[in-house]
Amino acid sequence: MVDQTKSRIIEKNRLTELLDKLAQDYHLIAPVRDNNVSFRRVESGSEVTLDYINTVLSPKNAFFPQTETLFRFSRDDSRGFRTEPGAEADREQVIFGIRPCDARSLRLMDMVFNGQYKDSYYLDRREKTTLIGLACFDPAETCFCPTFGIDPASGEDVDILLSDIGDRYLVEASTEKGAALLDRFAEFFAELRGDEEQLREARKAGLAGMKKLDVSAIADKMAPLYEGDYWDSIGMKCLGCGICTYLCPTCHCFDIADVSLDEGGERFRCWDSCMFPEFTLMASGENPRPNRKARVQQRFFHKFKYFHDRNGELACVGCGRCLRYCPVNIDITQIIEDVTSGKAGNE
Amino acid sequence: MSENIYLPRMATIQSMRPETIDVTTFRVTIDGSDGTGKFEYKSGQFAEVSVLGVGEAPISITSSPTRPEAIEFSIRRVGELTNALHELEPLDKIGIRGPFGNFFPLEEMEGQNLLIIGGGIGLAPLRSVILNVFDNRAKYGKIDIIYGARSPQDLVFTSEYKEWQAVDNTRLHLTVDRGDEEWKGNVGLVPTFLREINPSPENTISITCGPPIMIKFVIEALNELGFSSEHIITTLERRMKCGVGKCGRCNIGSKYVCLDGPVFTLKQLEEMPSD
Repeated sequence: MVDQTKSRIIEKNRLTELLDKLAQDYHLIAPVRDNNVSFRRVESGSEVTLDYINTVLSPKNAFFPQTETLFRFSRDDSRGFRTEPGAEADREQVIFGIRPCDARSLRLMDMVFNGQYKDSYYLDRREKTTLIGLACFDPAETCFCPTFGIDPASGEDVDILLSDIGDRYLVEASTEKGAALLDRFAEFFAELRGDEEQLREARKAGLAGMKKLDVSAIADKMAPLYEGDYWDSIGMKCLGCGICTYLCPTCHCFDIADVSLDEGGERFRCWDSCMFPEFTLMASGENPRPNRKARVQQRFFHKFKYFHDRNGELACVGCGRCLRYCPVNIDITQIIEDVTSGKAGNE
Repeated sequence: MSENIYLPRMATIQSMRPETIDVTTFRVTIDGSDGTGKFEYKSGQFAEVSVLGVGEAPISITSSPTRPEAIEFSIRRVGELTNALHELEPLDKIGIRGPFGNFFPLEEMEGQNLLIIGGGIGLAPLRSVILNVFDNRAKYGKIDIIYGARSPQDLVFTSEYKEWQAVDNTRLHLTVDRGDEEWKGNVGLVPTFLREINPSPENTISITCGPPIMIKFVIEALNELGFSSEHIITTLERRMKCGVGKCGRCNIGSKYVCLDGPVFTLKQLEEMPSD
């Protein structure tokens, strides 16, 4: 139901102007058409495109950059070093156009970067970000987010949700942060006309056939597959390119390394992948995951069992990127079906 | 910005004691303190040790918290970071993050006999326990230390053996895979030596650390001797980067070795996948 008090509309022809304003006051990150469609920092509304199903990369880069300085160091007068932390989070940022699946992935990433040890780089950016989501009404063939209880037309994990209902967007704030932003830019928003709910329901018709797999018992069904042969066939197919982990909005693994310059340098982190043999290779030469089978197995066990054991959630949002871009068509939905149907155990 | 979990504290190397041709014990103090400063650790924990410009690696702490004047790390020269560490000199600076991970259950071990079994550089984390229980000698029963290395030249902490052997109700059993003309002690692999010594599992907790292959056969021997899987404790090694359960590489099943380990009982290991 549309909450009348917190909801507004914005006419489509006023959106560019709103984005211009947002870009002045915030670090605005929005989908831009390049060879594909990517989330980028934009300076004006005219750079933004809303003509996409989903971006090739989720906006996880805005919280957990692909490469990020942890701290810089320089030699001091004695034999020591001075260290200074990496750049603090930039000013308040707005991510415009995030899809509900990618928004859910941030909730999963929060579980990793929060906890006993708090990752201030990620958490500061999270704190300083307002998420303006865009409801999905035309999912791709590869989409299966309802599998994980995600409603592609819902604003559950964003601050504000925009729904394209024809000549205008329905604008709903679901958090205090979102409501504050709507107040601040009140001039762009108008009262509801009354037919919004009806228009939205009509658009939801396009979601009816979406793939929804039953994953309620998947963590338990994974356990006995640790010893089986099922992963051999997938490991044989896998090229170890790592694209699945780079595009995955829930993958959070990283490497830490140093760059040394004349009198100092920096320590940085960058995305890493469990698909690479060096990921677990020790200086002694021992490697606990020495082959592709072991690495593929780690990836799917992490998503459907280990993450669940630690955090009570499955580490997948059904965005479909890994199956869309895998060069050898490893299909995560097929794996889910093989595991949950018991087929994987019989191989 | 809240506390930065990736920023190391600077520490000064006070001395470097060569143990073998490729192992050195680094004695360090945290800068701005008389010794270990606020670095409060327990036996079995590890630290992330940095040489700025080269990198960082997880290293087990070999000193005992009962001796707070300095922190010690016994480090084998084996990779890029450990090579760089060996090139340093006393008074050079290194970075320290931690302490991280869990620790040996010294409180639960009180009143028990201890069987400590090490191989090669695997004695490093065990030495923290050894010195700790020596400093609280009355709390523990009989202590047997079984230690082996490839050759007499590969034994670490040799300068301390006399002192260890002089501790009440304590025996140090040494073995080497290959002896030489001067070696008068036992020659043979650690698991074989363990069977010969034939320790009783009665009121005894065993702790072991060494190369994976040694741990495997030591556990087999301990099982044969009648030790229960709750009373066999080991400490594991994995590649780590962050040390705080985020970078995702050191897991065994759903356990992160950096957070939930490195110390595990055999019972816990039996419940984990076998990688």
